[in-house]
Formats: sequence, structure tokens, C-alpha cells
Amino acid sequence: MAASKSIERTASVIMTAFSAVYLAGAYLMIPIPMIKQEVGPSIFPKAVGFLLLGISIANLFIHFKGEVKEDEARAVIIGADDKVETKADLKLMGTIIALMAAYAYLFESLGYPITTFVVFVAGALILDRKHMLRDVIIAIISSFGMYFVFTKLLRVALPPGPLSLFGW
Amino acid sequence: MDIFHNLVLGFSVAGTPFNLLLCFVGVFLGTVIGVLPGIGPMTGVALLIPLCFGLPPSSAIILMAGIYYGAMYGGSTTSILVNVPGESSSVVTCLDGHEMAKKGRAGPALAAAAIGSFIAGTFATIMLMAFGPLLAKVALHFGPPEFFALMVMALTVVTSLAGRSMLKALYATLFGLAVAMVGIDLQSGVQRFTFGNPQFMDGIEFLVVAIGLFALTEVFINISEMKHAKEVTMEKIQGGLWLTKEDWKRFWPSCTRGTLSGFFVGGVAGAGAAVASFVSYGVEKRFSKHKAELGTGAIEGVTGPESANNAAAGGSLIYLLCLGIPGSGTTAIMLGALIMFGLQPGPLLFTTQPEFVWGLIASMYIGNIMLLVLNLPLVGMWVKLLSVPEYLLTLFIIVFSFLGVYTMNTSVQDLVLMILFGVIGYGMKRADIPASPVILGMVLGKQMEEKFRQSMVISDGSLSIFFARPIAVVLLLLAVISITNPYWKPCGAYVKSLFPKAKAA
Repeated sequence: MAASKSIERTASVIMTAFSAVYLAGAYLMIPIPMIKQEVGPSIFPKAVGFLLLGISIANLFIHFKGEVKEDEARAVIIGADDKVETKADLKLMGTIIALMAAYAYLFESLGYPITTFVVFVAGALILDRKHMLRDVIIAIISSFGMYFVFTKLLRVALPPGPLSLFGW
Repeated sequence: MDIFHNLVLGFSVAGTPFNLLLCFVGVFLGTVIGVLPGIGPMTGVALLIPLCFGLPPSSAIILMAGIYYGAMYGGSTTSILVNVPGESSSVVTCLDGHEMAKKGRAGPALAAAAIGSFIAGTFATIMLMAFGPLLAKVALHFGPPEFFALMVMALTVVTSLAGRSMLKALYATLFGLAVAMVGIDLQSGVQRFTFGNPQFMDGIEFLVVAIGLFALTEVFINISEMKHAKEVTMEKIQGGLWLTKEDWKRFWPSCTRGTLSGFFVGGVAGAGAAVASFVSYGVEKRFSKHKAELGTGAIEGVTGPESANNAAAGGSLIYLLCLGIPGSGTTAIMLGALIMFGLQPGPLLFTTQPEFVWGLIASMYIGNIMLLVLNLPLVGMWVKLLSVPEYLLTLFIIVFSFLGVYTMNTSVQDLVLMILFGVIGYGMKRADIPASPVILGMVLGKQMEEKFRQSMVISDGSLSIFFARPIAVVLLLLAVISITNPYWKPCGAYVKSLFPKAKAA
């Protein structure tokens, strides 16, 4: 429970910081329009910013000073999501985020089929090494097969990458 | 006669071979999503929106609606056989459904859930058909202040029913509104929070946020929990799938109660499918002839909640189509998608796009029948889906997320933003901040601001316009009630504690 308490406290600090930055942005980053309007473009963001800040300060106060009360029975009835209590595997998460970043970076230059194939196989290697043949077959289907379905059948454009040289 | 004429029009749209195929694909994929634990209807609909990109709007909504109620139904199968609810509205089905399966009555439990869902879904569709046009007619008289008040109410109702902490849910809603403010302000042409980046000028696409917050967050949770994964034990289906005479006798009253309570509480009152299923279970506990058996494998415990959650899902479409207001996270995603396709759901939709609305209504009838036909005979196949390794599921979610977000604007920046929102979503999940209000805030944000500004122009900048219109006043009052009601009891207790003598007297 201690871990969850520290996470909630950290979150309440981040929420307050975001609110303050947003509110400051609403004042400083939105220029005054040339034509005078009843409600200018910065009014709504300012109102949202003030409400965000008020709520995040109240939340901060509750987590640092007050007592956090939770009604689990109510949470079940309204279908609130289960709390995630498992400790994050930061190393694995970092690896997957790096893999996704590389996927995004290479998506256009290498094209959808090649990047997807590589990412799928790399992901399978990171998460499970026991069924490589099966995983490679699935990777081919979800990369080259899906490319065919989307571009030829659904007529949705996807980057072919170097495969465009072969008329893909 | 009008309804009949419109329905014929609807069936002529939904009945084309292509749309029938889409409806089938929708309910099929929806059921897959519902069965797979972890992927709820919101993630599913968000992930599958790219399938709709090349389609005309009427076909796209048929596909999306199929996915939506397919997912609502699919959750019950795993609740009954494995005691793992596919989504939150199936949690209560586990109580009696799994007990029935343990007693060797999985077949009748699955059949009761399927038939109950079918009847409730059909009832909700009939109600949509009968009252939708009337509600749309009333809403045609709404001006900007009424619409603004309606949006405030929709946001507060959904917020009040999201997550354990009202403050966090409110923060999430406002965060959604804050994100919606990014881009060029259409009324003044001024850039807001764009940081000079041309790709931000059109704002941040809701799908980027939705897929990041739901799908990628799911990826991060899956990889964290992979090491701690538990083996699931599945109850076998013994005997027949059909209900006995005694089952039928007990089925009808609970199905009727579930359908009505689900439709009115979950749909009309906007409480959502999960609350609807719990209310229905409560109703069964109070009114069922066999209430003593509830919790030990009573068929009423399956029929009631399963009918209720499907009636609620259908009911919430009424608001979406007639008022353009989503009553839940999933319908918010559907609204966002419709806006992306260039449609503006709202009261005018019934008159300007009748083939769209009635095509959808007709497809709901067809989809409900398809669900019934698809689910019972194929139950063995659905259950096999649970044996798909978690890491493969995770990789599929990543690939589909990238595919969906990229095809929307062919922008790599969107992919990077999606990853960022995925990380934010995981942080929110760890801090127990609900994500669905963010989507609702995002989808309604721009419209809400527009209606507010229009109201201010009408009233020469006076806020009194919101208090001078009866409908707006009632809606705003309802918003205040929905957001403050959890605090009434503690406030009352506090006031009482201030006057201890009065209590003694």
C-alpha cells in the first residue's frame, strides 16, 4: 500500500504542476485577436485552467494532509477499473517504449510491412523466445498480409518503403 | 406509418450484401474483443475505427455499432465459463453464471445470457425507433444555452460514475477539455497551445489520445503483469445448450425486469451498462421468486444483468443519435469517429440523414439476430481465444494501434503523440485516475466552448442567459446534483454532529 500512496502523491504533484503550467499558458501563449469578441479565445482555456488548478490542489491536500477514503463497494457498482497494484517492470517497459519509438521513426522510411515484421519479431524475442517459428509466421501475416488487406482491399494508404521498388 | 416507411428505408440500407457483411464482421470482432480479457469495448472500438476509414458513414456506423454490442455480449461468455469478466458490465454475471457452470449448467447459462441480450437489445432498438424521432424533435428547439447545459450535464453524469475518486474523475474530464483547446480557434483564427507546430493547428485528434490512453496503456499493463500471470481454469460445457421448461419459466420475469431496469437506469438516466447490471441484480434480489438461490447459480442472476447491460448499451445510442451527446466512454469514441467522417450527430440527423439513422436502426435488429446465431453454436471457439498467449495479444495491440493512428492523417507525429499518451495513460492507471472522462471531455470540448460563446453573444456577455431558460436551468441543476450527491451524506452527518443535543432530544 505504501507504494500506491507514494504513486498517488507523486501523481497529485504532477497534476498540480500541469495545471499551473496550463493556466500560465492560457494567459501567456494565447494572443489577443484583432477583432473584439464577447468571449475571446483565451476565456475558456483560462476557466479550464483555474478549475484544473483548484481540483489538483484539493487532491494534493487530501493526499498529503487528509485521509483518503475509498468506497470499494461503490467502485464495483459503477464498474471502476481494477487498480493496478503490480510493480512496473521499468526495464521491460523502457525496452518496449524504445521499440515503439523506433517503430514510429522508421514507419515511413522503411515502410509498414518491413518495420512491422521487424518490430513483431523483436517484440516476440523480448517477451517470449520459446515459439520463434510460430511467431515469425504470425509476423509475416500481420505485416505483409495486413498491408495487402489494407491497401488493396480497404484502399487505405500505408507506406510501402523500399518495397515500392518492386511495385508494391 | 412514418416509422414503417423509415424502417423500410433502413432495411434497404442495412440489407445490402456489403452492409450485411460489415454487420457480421462487426459483431464477430466485437465478440472477440468482449471475450478477450483486458480489451474492453472502448479499446476495441478505438482500435477498430481504422477499418472504417475507406467506408461511407452509414456503413462505418453499422460496423462500429456491431463491434459495440458484440463486445457488450462477448464479456458474458468468459464470465460464465472462466469466472473472468471480459468487461466491467459482466462482473456481476460471474456471481451466478460461473456457479451455474460449476454445477454443469454452463449451456443454459450461456443460452440465457444470449437470449436475454437479444431480447433486451431488440427492445432498446424498438425504443430508439419509437422515441428517437420525438426526442430529436424536442431537441430541435434547443438553442446554444440548452446545448451547453446539456453538455455540462453529460460530462458531470459520466464523471460522477467514473473511478473511485470524484476529484480525479473531474480532473480527467478537465484534462480532456484542456487537450481539446489545442489548435486554431475557429472563431478568431488565433493559435492556442500549438507551439508553432503546423501539425497542431488542426488540434490533437481524439483517436490518437483514445488509442494511447486505452490500447497502449493496456500494453504496458500486460507487460508488467506477464510474469505474474495466473493460469485460468475453465469449466466444461456439459449437457445441452438449451433451456429447460423450468428455466424458461424463470427466464421471462427476470429478462423483463433486467431489460426495463437496464434501459431506464443505464440508458435513459445515463448511468451506463455496469451500473445497469448491478441495479438489475439488486432488482432480482428484491423481487425474484427465487431470490434465496441468487449467488449459488440461479438463472435470474445471469438473465437479469445480461439483459440490463445490453438494454443500456442500446439506450445510450438514443442520446448519441438524437442529441449528439455520448452517455459513455464507448459512445464518446463513436461520436468522435462520426465527427471525423464529417457527420454531426444531433437532432438534425433524423431529418438530414434519414438513411444513416434508419440504416443503423435496421442494422441493430440484424446484428442482434446475428449475435444470437453466432454466439451459441460457436461458444467453443470463443473460449479457445482465451488461450491466445498474452505476449502475442500485446504485439497485436501495438501493431493495430500504429496502423490506426497512422492511417488517419499519415503523420508520424501522431504516432509519437500516441506513445506519449500511452505513457500518460499508464501513469493515470497507476494513480487510479479514470481515462474515459478524458475522451468525453475531448470530444465535447470544442462544441461546448462554441455553444458557450454563442450563448454569450446572444446575451451580450451576461451569464444570466443560462438561468433565464427553464430547460437549461433544469439540466444545470441535474449536473450539480450528479456531481455533488456523494458529498450529501457526509455533509449531513457533519451538520448533525454540530448539534448533538438535537439528536438526544
